[in-house]
Amino acid sequence: MAHPITPKSSSPVGESKPRIDAREKVTGAALYADDIQFGNKLLYARIKRSPYPHALIKKIDVSRALALPGVKAVVTGQDFPGFIGLYLKDRHIFCRERVRYVGDPVAGVAAINPETAEKAVNLIDVEYEVLEPVFDPEFGASPQAPVLHPELGQYIVASFILPRPGSNISNHFKIRKGDVSSAWQKCSKVIERKYRIPHIQHVPIEPHVAIAKVEESGEATLWDSSQSPFAQRDLIAETLGIPQSKMRVIAPLVGGGFGGKAGVSMESLAVAIASKVRGYPVKLLLTREEEFFTAFVRQGLVATFKMGCDVDGKLLAMQNTFFWDGGAYTEYGVNITRAAGYSCTGPYEVPNVHTDSYCVYTNHPVGGPMRGFGMPEMHSGLEQCIDELAHEIGMDAVEFRRRNCLKGGSILPTGGRMHPTGLSECLEKAAEAIDWGRKAQPSAPNKRRGKGLALMWKAPAMPGNAGSSAWIELAEDGTLTLGVGCQDIGQGAFTVAAQMAAAAFGVPYESVRVATPVDTRYSPYEWQTVASRITWSTGNAIIAAAQDARRQVLNLVARAWGETTDDLDIVNGMVVSFKSEREIPVKDFAVAGLPKPDGNGWMGGPIIGRGNFIPADVTGLDPETGQGEHAVVHFTTGAQAIELEVDLDTGRIEILKGVAAFDVGKAINPELVKAQMEGGLIQGISSALFERLQLKDGVVQNASFVDYRIATSSDLPKSVQSIIVEVPQADGPWGARGIGEHSMVPTLPAIANAIYDAIGIRFEGPPFTAEKIYLAMLDAGIVK
Amino acid sequence: MKPQTHPTLPEFDYIKPESLAEASQFLALHPDEARPFLGGTDIFVRMRDGFLVPKFLVDVKHLDGTDAIRFDPLVGLTIGAAVNMNRVIASPEVQKYYPLLAEACRSVASYQLRTRATIAGNLCNASPAGDTIGACLVLDGKLQIHGTACPRLETLSEFFLGPGKTTLKPGDIVTAVSLPVPPGGSAGTYLKLGRNKLSDLSIVGVTVLGSPAPSLPSGFRFRIALSSVAPIPLIAAEAEAALAEQAITSGSIHAAACLASEASTPIDDVRGSARYRKQMVRNLTEMALNQVWQKLQRQDAGR
Repeated sequence: MAHPITPKSSSPVGESKPRIDAREKVTGAALYADDIQFGNKLLYARIKRSPYPHALIKKIDVSRALALPGVKAVVTGQDFPGFIGLYLKDRHIFCRERVRYVGDPVAGVAAINPETAEKAVNLIDVEYEVLEPVFDPEFGASPQAPVLHPELGQYIVASFILPRPGSNISNHFKIRKGDVSSAWQKCSKVIERKYRIPHIQHVPIEPHVAIAKVEESGEATLWDSSQSPFAQRDLIAETLGIPQSKMRVIAPLVGGGFGGKAGVSMESLAVAIASKVRGYPVKLLLTREEEFFTAFVRQGLVATFKMGCDVDGKLLAMQNTFFWDGGAYTEYGVNITRAAGYSCTGPYEVPNVHTDSYCVYTNHPVGGPMRGFGMPEMHSGLEQCIDELAHEIGMDAVEFRRRNCLKGGSILPTGGRMHPTGLSECLEKAAEAIDWGRKAQPSAPNKRRGKGLALMWKAPAMPGNAGSSAWIELAEDGTLTLGVGCQDIGQGAFTVAAQMAAAAFGVPYESVRVATPVDTRYSPYEWQTVASRITWSTGNAIIAAAQDARRQVLNLVARAWGETTDDLDIVNGMVVSFKSEREIPVKDFAVAGLPKPDGNGWMGGPIIGRGNFIPADVTGLDPETGQGEHAVVHFTTGAQAIELEVDLDTGRIEILKGVAAFDVGKAINPELVKAQMEGGLIQGISSALFERLQLKDGVVQNASFVDYRIATSSDLPKSVQSIIVEVPQADGPWGARGIGEHSMVPTLPAIANAIYDAIGIRFEGPPFTAEKIYLAMLDAGIVK
Repeated sequence: MKPQTHPTLPEFDYIKPESLAEASQFLALHPDEARPFLGGTDIFVRMRDGFLVPKFLVDVKHLDGTDAIRFDPLVGLTIGAAVNMNRVIASPEVQKYYPLLAEACRSVASYQLRTRATIAGNLCNASPAGDTIGACLVLDGKLQIHGTACPRLETLSEFFLGPGKTTLKPGDIVTAVSLPVPPGGSAGTYLKLGRNKLSDLSIVGVTVLGSPAPSLPSGFRFRIALSSVAPIPLIAAEAEAALAEQAITSGSIHAAACLASEASTPIDDVRGSARYRKQMVRNLTEMALNQVWQKLQRQDAGR
């Protein structure tokens, strides 16, 4: 009897399965770090922070704080000499000699309740000598600027990050390809533009929270809202002198990450304080204001682009300079600078490229990863320039992009060749969906209407050896438990992981359980949940683990039935033989094994599959030219198009329609892919129209949702269209590659291009607030 | 002021008096230390940010008669001080006779906050940005106040002295806001310009109420109140006068809008620049007047 369901049709990959965590999240049953109860021994931490952007610490007196009843510990930088940081170890857990931004941690308190901790913080006396601050990255990179990290030359740094000791430049990434200087004269048109992209914030609804406990034995446990439990285990342990095996990180569900909970930031404060009150759990929960002042921000960018093309619109040369406002510590930001450097041409083939991408220390909040990792900022200017250049030579902007955009085999700015990509298809589909080339009538006499489009590319920015692993085991009821170390930060990682495990092993999606929360003691290693790499990288590890488990199952059954594994398959939780048409549920033997064919004893045993994955062929780049064979694992590409109206009475922009088309290789879960496209579009709209961290003398002026506005549902376009393009990735699971961050990359320039189409005005930078638009129209004489 | 990277709610004593007299007496006895509060949507934020450090917070939302909303066809509407904005919005009488007030309430923050926020609190808070103040002003609102001496009525147009400053004295408790029956055939609108569409504080707000007034040369009376463009909620008196004198045309409406803009004295702040605000007072006033004028003409045609 043939089995009724073929392996293909039972595969949950490619189907929009319901989210595995939907029910617990919707009902409120889901557990977040702040929900965990620690009993009456719990202590509350508060942090004494610098009120100055740049100063030397002359003296700290904690005696009054220590004397306050209820205070269990007061710590300062003197207690923790180590450095911490992901790519560049340039920060102490608590400042030692110097403070470098408003909010820099100077001392920490643990007390029996929040009020006492708060009082104790106010009783800590710190004497400062105020120093000249740096607030502008261009000035900061100059020899005239005061040096904020005189010790830069001594910091431990990853091999691919190139700091310039004696300056504020913590990474200088260069591309020198072809010959730019001789190329300009071959151009029929050259344009040069400058843009300023302000700092923005991730604003997760759940603020950062960390609870740490260090046992008498020195073993440390950290419960936190985290995208990077394994990186935190490694970095915090190393800095505090704890062996990694004695540091355990437990990471429950995350209430919004967007990159802000990647790497290590405030979590190390909690562990450091807890190390001085052994046996007591210590909780640190950031206030919303602390989120704005002290959590990672998206770095500011000052970018200049010079680009030229020939009469046919072929791009011949680009010269780009990026000054990244990396803030007080650039331990993570240095790699954003690198990513922008190797992606500096955007998704276009350009034969002559000269790019300098500088990460610059300033006395601003600490820059860190945020959705897009430098790409939204970089593309914001670049994709406006592309539009302008097309306009200058009288060519339609879509046609210009059509001619220049990367195809499979195109030469990349780093020298290697582009893999197969659906970028051209994304461009055509987005243009078609927005009805490109046709100007619609405004909805009212006081409105102007415009359309804009932008392309993007982005690679996972990570070390070449960022690894993933997974395990699979089976229970007596046939349920497959999947162990992964990746985190579900709302993107649906656990759902997609379960789908892939189900498909790769051969059980229904509903039969898979993901072993959560991620716990570095029991979960398999995962580098970090960043870089839109999880579906691709963890997915490959899951396939390997499933194949390992399948091998064990099929070998066992083959032995029991006297068949070969070639004739066997696992379908819907049943091992079936295509030869003998026998079948047996996996659950019957997955734990207990099978009797030997002769009946004497048993064989098999509990099935457990393991798998891992590491990128195989990422090569280094030449430090002087940025050239190399294989700079990154792959690029996800895509396009967005926007139609909007500008209100002439107020300057207010209304986004009427947003279209997104991305090449995701293979949509493992199409609805989740579309959700990422929609979410990115919305966050892109928000960053384009509303968001800016208003910094004045290093102080955040709008550290609350009252004055840091983000888009609400009523600010969104009524029409949103998300188009999935699938050109498979050779080394992707089922051909898949990432989509999480990419969807916010081209939104801002698409909006800027649409604004230009509507009113003929361009801006140095976002946000394109009603006020900015109106006053520009007033100055241009469009309104009176 | 030092940057508040970690603001916190200061310690205070919560006082819940049994009667108006007791509340008033307590407040009068602690003039610098005690503050009355209703929904608390503003005071807790300001305390947390360190702008206010009262020793006592006196809860005046459970006191005699402050929880009722009453309408009398002859006297008008009386909204007890403790009545939250969602109740005001839901009131059939408000919807029928004071749609402008409901519209203003709906523009405040979010539904959740409006279950706490009160109109009396919005008025006493005396922010130039207060969203319901304009409607109360153009509807000729009065405040019922329980003072230490005796209950009194205060006219809203004379109530505001500066940002956060009013004519209230220690011991005064606003018990209700009363609004007379609006003039027959009146129509109004509240145009609020925020940075995004929902739940923002206003960069500029314009409230307009228009009604037929045969005794005036133009035949119509327009009331105009402006938010966020002066130290106090501003009545655009010159613009009102101009519209009383001249026939209502698009030209006279534009001229009145310009007068309103001239009367405004906005500042630069994180929400917007003075330059933009001046322009927006003109444009929004013109827009609001046109909308109200169209409503009035429609009503006239329908009669």
